[in-house]
Amino acid sequence: MKTIFFTGKGGVGKSTLSAAAAYQLSQRGDRVLAISFDPAHNLGDIFDVKLSHKVKKFSDTLYLQETDLEEAAEEYIRQNTDILTEIYSYTRAFNLDRYFKVLRHSPGVEEYAALTALEELLRTANDYDVVVVDTPPTGLTLRIMALPRITITWVDRLRRIRRDILDKRHTVHTITGQYNEAGTKLAYEAKDDRVMIKLDELFNRYVNVAKHLESDETQIAVVFNPDYLSLRESQRIFNGLDDLNLNVDVAFTNKYTEGLKQIADEMEKELLGPLSEKPRHARVPWEPYKRERAYDLKFDMLPFITDGTTN
Amino acid sequence: MSSIIILVGIVVYIALYFLYGKRLEGNVVKADDSVQTPANRLYDGVDYVPAKTPVLFGHHFASVAGAAPIIGPVIAMAWGWVPSLAWIWFGNIFIGAVHDYLAIMASVRYDGKSIQFVASDLITKRTGKLFYWLVFLILILIVGAFGAVLGNMFVGNPAVPSSYVFKLVAALILGVLLYRVKMNFTLATLIGIAMLVGAIFLGMAVPFVAPKSVWFLVMFFYIIIASAIPVNVLLQPRDYLNSWLLYIGLFIGALAAISSVTGFTAPAFTSFAPIVSGGKPSPFWPVIPLIIACGSLSGFHALVGSGTTSKQLEKESAGLTIGYGGMLFEGFLSTIVVVAVAGYGMSLLVGAGQDINAANWGQQYLAASGAAGISGAGMFTAAYAAMVADTWLAFLPTAFVKTIAGMWVASFAMTTLDTTNRLARYTLAEIAMPLKGKSDAAYNFLTNRWIASAIPAALGIYLAWSGTFSILWPAFGAGNQLIASIALLTGTAWVAKRLKNKATMALIPAYLLWITVTAAILWHMFVVVLPAIQSNAVTNTVVFVVEGIMFILNIVFIIDFIKTKDQPVSDTAEA
Amino acid sequence: MAGFIRRAWAAIRGIFGTLDSAHREKVVALTAYEARELENIFVLLLLGSFAGMPAPPTFISTELLPYLEHEIRVLNRRAEQSTDALAEIMGAIDADA
Repeated sequence: MKTIFFTGKGGVGKSTLSAAAAYQLSQRGDRVLAISFDPAHNLGDIFDVKLSHKVKKFSDTLYLQETDLEEAAEEYIRQNTDILTEIYSYTRAFNLDRYFKVLRHSPGVEEYAALTALEELLRTANDYDVVVVDTPPTGLTLRIMALPRITITWVDRLRRIRRDILDKRHTVHTITGQYNEAGTKLAYEAKDDRVMIKLDELFNRYVNVAKHLESDETQIAVVFNPDYLSLRESQRIFNGLDDLNLNVDVAFTNKYTEGLKQIADEMEKELLGPLSEKPRHARVPWEPYKRERAYDLKFDMLPFITDGTTN
Repeated sequence: MSSIIILVGIVVYIALYFLYGKRLEGNVVKADDSVQTPANRLYDGVDYVPAKTPVLFGHHFASVAGAAPIIGPVIAMAWGWVPSLAWIWFGNIFIGAVHDYLAIMASVRYDGKSIQFVASDLITKRTGKLFYWLVFLILILIVGAFGAVLGNMFVGNPAVPSSYVFKLVAALILGVLLYRVKMNFTLATLIGIAMLVGAIFLGMAVPFVAPKSVWFLVMFFYIIIASAIPVNVLLQPRDYLNSWLLYIGLFIGALAAISSVTGFTAPAFTSFAPIVSGGKPSPFWPVIPLIIACGSLSGFHALVGSGTTSKQLEKESAGLTIGYGGMLFEGFLSTIVVVAVAGYGMSLLVGAGQDINAANWGQQYLAASGAAGISGAGMFTAAYAAMVADTWLAFLPTAFVKTIAGMWVASFAMTTLDTTNRLARYTLAEIAMPLKGKSDAAYNFLTNRWIASAIPAALGIYLAWSGTFSILWPAFGAGNQLIASIALLTGTAWVAKRLKNKATMALIPAYLLWITVTAAILWHMFVVVLPAIQSNAVTNTVVFVVEGIMFILNIVFIIDFIKTKDQPVSDTAEA
Repeated sequence: MAGFIRRAWAAIRGIFGTLDSAHREKVVALTAYEARELENIFVLLLLGSFAGMPAPPTFISTELLPYLEHEIRVLNRRAEQSTDALAEIMGAIDADA
């Protein structure tokens, strides 16, 4: 299953291009899922359908989905506070359980919710040939893409400490036949330790996401306009992705007109010049926004997002 | 004579345990078994765990047993066996064991907090901080004194260092068996003991002969490396093997001492001030506590006892058995040492061609021992082996017995070297704490784990290498007894302020001890060390400075103690 | 006579049993100590984020939190005892002369 991420500053036409790409791929016969994480909810507008977290069938080969990150964050928090209120259920008696809700405002919740949604997506969307992703604004996107590696590092470190703990407990148990505290038995085998099980689960989940993102199965497209306003932010995207060791596979200068040639030349030189691995590049001509079938662009995206092969 | 003394010693200890110890327990501490000890009340499965009293006794005894109860009495024999035994018996019963007992009980009543904490609560916070300084300084002196003991022994008896090296290998293997392979414990133990005995025989077959300087270098690197590797690899299995060595050594020694039935050839009493430290006439009072520390009185016991033992007491009455009784048992060990030297020392020295007899023993004993190459640990191993050979245990080959004895001392001394190094890193970090923020470079330097390890090791080995053992040993004793006197005075403060008990049984020995130790340090600094700077400038200056700092801390302490002596404390903490 | 022998034998077995359990405990005492300290460190790493320490992403902590009751108890106890560690360490590593 291939994944194509469309990244770029807000307003450059990311959503339109990702919609077009999804449509064109589906027309060619691929089973496509177009999903948007962008809170601006443009995808539904472009296809002129009301979208939600539930996948909606647009055609036999094209399916649409919008993930509301805020809602995802709320859901994630709710799940975790549920665990806490369950364990500390007696606090309900004093209405103190509402204080667990402050976790909603922890840093990183939004990112994590997006990451969970992404991870879930990658794990479950196996019956599609291509998943086209319209990403949220730059900062969030970069943070989300960084998360798997960060998470993996931390989880791995914690796993190693945990394994040490379990090994020592096991030694004590083997020699003295007991390891408990005030009557509660403490686990000393990895298979019995709920913490270890959880850590392994987290580890595997994010290793899979990281692997997928870094593999050839993932293509990243950066969209920008030929105007200096989007230059800086586009640079940030390129640099950010580079820091994460993620390659940009294709770049689009969107809303191009002949009159903007000079600016376009300059921008493309600045953005694409320093890259060691040059992405495929196309200038997408400006097309007036159609009220209907806005996803049906004249410009043929396929040669650029499929690297010329018949995938 | 020897057997009589052993039996008298046993009787004296047991009788006074009941006559004096029990009174201490009942009238002063008022131990109450209906009150839950911290081990039960604060149970956490790791530190706070009630241990069966006999088990805890063994554990506490093994923790506080070291090389000092053996080396000290050997040196003290310069005064003759009566003064030595007097201190070992009565110093122990009325001061040393009281000190151990009060430290443990105060800690028990303070939720298992250490004597350091109690001191900072009942006296001043500064007093608590003193402990870090004192312990760090003593660690340097310990490495110096014990390093010197080991250096002499390794050269005098080359089978010992080689046995020790083989024992280290055995410990490493045992560690793998126990913790990696997770072999059945009993089986691993048997293999361990077999390896231990094998190491002794192997060491005897392949002695490592080397000059002292080589041994000092080896010791230096050993300290640094052994204190840095994980405890499962070396420390824990090695300590386990050591306990078996202790059993064997003590068992054979006690049996031999009781059945030796020999007269004492060493004089009962030589003079009040024979040559002991630095070639100077050393007055029995106040110097004896500096010579015989553990075995009669040792400040470290207060820390160890209030560090872990107190947290594991299953009931309050166990405190007497373990704290008071444990110390008496260590005194018994020292008694055996005195008996061995008193019975066989003379013939050993004469046999080695030394011009020594009962009349000149006071002046010549240490010099002759040095000249004959059997000073300190060497005298012990030789006398021990001679004692065993003189009994029905003579079927054990003398060389083997001598090596066991040597291994016994070496094992405990070497263990002390690297455990104290681990301590040094911690205490140095605590001492350096005020530097944080003011001079981060200095702080980071001092708390770097290799630097913090190397400094005390280097200083200590330097002292051992270049210094005079008879000067270093009392310096170490001085530091140890300083802690003891602070701990004992803290114990009396506890008795007075929390138990609201005006206990002369604790107070008199405490004050006497403080005066003795203070006088002893001053004597040692100015009569022994200062003049010796002329002949050995750097080394003895270091010793002088270290002792000087300890002395100043001692004064700071007594000032704080007197200031707060009559101040009541808040009733918030437990009595 | 037989009763005496039986009781003597039971006493001897008792002594050896005590010795055995004493040795077993001694040989893992430091291991248990280390395990406990690691538990402390483990939960410090996880909860430190709630106290401003650099820490793993919060969600890892909240996901593991429900299973860390024992470790949190260790954390509290160690926090209390960390200022009185000298004697404890000396006892744990048998530091004596």
